[in-house]
Amino acid sequence: MADPILQIKGLEVAVEDTPILKGVDLTVPQGEVHALMGPNGSGKSTLAYALAGHPRYEITAGEVLFAGQDLAEMEADERARAGLFLAMQYPVEVPGVSVMNFLRTAVNAARGEEVPVREFAKLFREASKQLEFDPSFADRYLNEGFSGGEKKRHEILQMALLKPRFAILDETDSGLDIDALRIVSEGVNHLRGPGLGVLIITHYTRILRYIKPDVVHVMYEGRIAKTGGPELAEHLEEKGYVEFGSAEAALAPR
Amino acid sequence: MASAAPAWAEEARQAAGQALQALPGLTGREEDWRFTPPEDLALAGPEPGPAAAPVDAPVPAPGHRSARLAFADGAAGRAEAAGLPEGVVVADLGDALSSHEALVRERLYALAGFEDRPGALNAAGWESGTFVYVPRGVEVELPVEAVLSATGARGRVFGRTLVVVEEGAKATVIDRFTSPALASAVHASSVAELFVAEGGELEHVSFVDWGAGMRHHAVVRAAAGKDAKVRSVVVTLGGDVVRVEPTLYVRGSGADARALGLYFAAGDQHFEHRVVSRHEAPQAYSNLLYKGAIQDAAHTVFFGNLVVPPGAPGTDAYQTNRNLVLNEGARADTIPFLEIETAEVKCSHAGAVGRVDDEQVFYLQARGVPEREAKQLIVYGFFQEVLDQIGFAELREELDAAVARKVR
Repeated sequence: MADPILQIKGLEVAVEDTPILKGVDLTVPQGEVHALMGPNGSGKSTLAYALAGHPRYEITAGEVLFAGQDLAEMEADERARAGLFLAMQYPVEVPGVSVMNFLRTAVNAARGEEVPVREFAKLFREASKQLEFDPSFADRYLNEGFSGGEKKRHEILQMALLKPRFAILDETDSGLDIDALRIVSEGVNHLRGPGLGVLIITHYTRILRYIKPDVVHVMYEGRIAKTGGPELAEHLEEKGYVEFGSAEAALAPR
Repeated sequence: MASAAPAWAEEARQAAGQALQALPGLTGREEDWRFTPPEDLALAGPEPGPAAAPVDAPVPAPGHRSARLAFADGAAGRAEAAGLPEGVVVADLGDALSSHEALVRERLYALAGFEDRPGALNAAGWESGTFVYVPRGVEVELPVEAVLSATGARGRVFGRTLVVVEEGAKATVIDRFTSPALASAVHASSVAELFVAEGGELEHVSFVDWGAGMRHHAVVRAAAGKDAKVRSVVVTLGGDVVRVEPTLYVRGSGADARALGLYFAAGDQHFEHRVVSRHEAPQAYSNLLYKGAIQDAAHTVFFGNLVVPPGAPGTDAYQTNRNLVLNEGARADTIPFLEIETAEVKCSHAGAVGRVDDEQVFYLQARGVPEREAKQLIVYGFFQEVLDQIGFAELREELDAAVARKVR
């Protein structure tokens, strides 16, 4: 059997010397969709940022192998070029850099060569249509003045263009209305398959009705507290995280 | 200068020379000179020695121009013009003293005389320069470009520009300053006087792109008449020590005068920009917008001032300077100033110095863009707000290339 795309063993991560992850073990075989659930503050987003290589998130112990490569040895851009994608919860605004300029630069970096202008235009057009992303945004500055939904669509658009092998969706569902959630989920479902594994990080089960996970993990206080099938998500929907010690009983989004 | 300069021009030159003798020397303790030591710019008078090993002058930049002038070490050289509209004059200013005497005499030294040392030094020393005259209602579509280059054969080079845009006329004029890297210090002194009459439009670009070793004191003064549109653009990228002093004289109601600036200082470069807008008429608009990136151990200074004397109600004036510091050790000073003596004006000023946002760098890196390229994109994006207001489109590519070259 091929290497799992993601293999995390005993991972400990600190942010400014405060330990957040306290020994995470998690394996995602190539092409599977896993959900990572848990109450606020359990360390879900920390795991996402640590995997993507944010310099503030320091790996203090353990190991992360991405397609057999040691992630800790790689800069954030090297991880991205190796096929790791993070759809961010709060996409950053970069004034003065147009969406088109950014996307071309990113696609060129991912491919290691200049993508011909016409080919790129075609890719952009198709992906925009699929995600109902307004193509006139091409001339807008990166994430500047985008609504929450537009930012999330734009994240998934990037995923479609960069064709990663593995994508982490960090609370992509937060701040999305039901139509936007449906469109974004359809976009992800369109891309998922043997070539793309996904880790969906979410507080709520709502997005999992659209993107069906193969495996569900629950994170609590910096560790994986439970792993199960899709039924685990339904269980959490009813019971909340109380059994893990959390005060949060109800899971329905406000 | 052409051999037979008219008597008035000779007299002016002598008066400038006398002023240079009479004016007190700059010590660096003057309020205006706190940040850039005057001795770094050799403003005392005598010509400094040539550079250790003179090199060939660089070739002119590509691009379509309606006319080109070249001044190697300050001496008039090649001049080319392609299909200038009827009545438009593009000439060596030294020749124009005689050949267009009436036009030149009326305005030369009117905005920048010899009341201070840098002005007197330039007025006493310039030999050749750029004269552009655009008659009433005429539009010069392509830019006129003058290149002042330094080879190191002379210790100081002079540039002098006089642009006259008559009523309803329109032009773009570029003063480019360029040299290869020089083995030792060479000084440059330049003055530009720009006159834009009622309803006229002028975009003037000072492109300071010297090689290492150059030290440059530059003055740009622009007068905007009623309903005139004036853009003074200053782009400072090259040179060891560069001080640029642009001033807008807003002289007619309805005028729209803008001083736009972009700079990128790296290594141990030192750039100072002193930018002033002076409202001498009511109901006019001006905007000073300067943005700079600072890297390595470089130091930049921005001083800006909106001056609204009594009698200019309805003034609408803005001033913004923002600096992006790329690493510890690089330094930017920003001093936005206001002198408002009229009631009923709208004025604002802002100055800021900030670091490159690590979250922006991470976002771009997380999309596969290497750190250096990510910083290039961020710096280029930072400049965009100013570029958006500049008509001369080639500046985008030049700046893009300069950013790519400079960011570490």
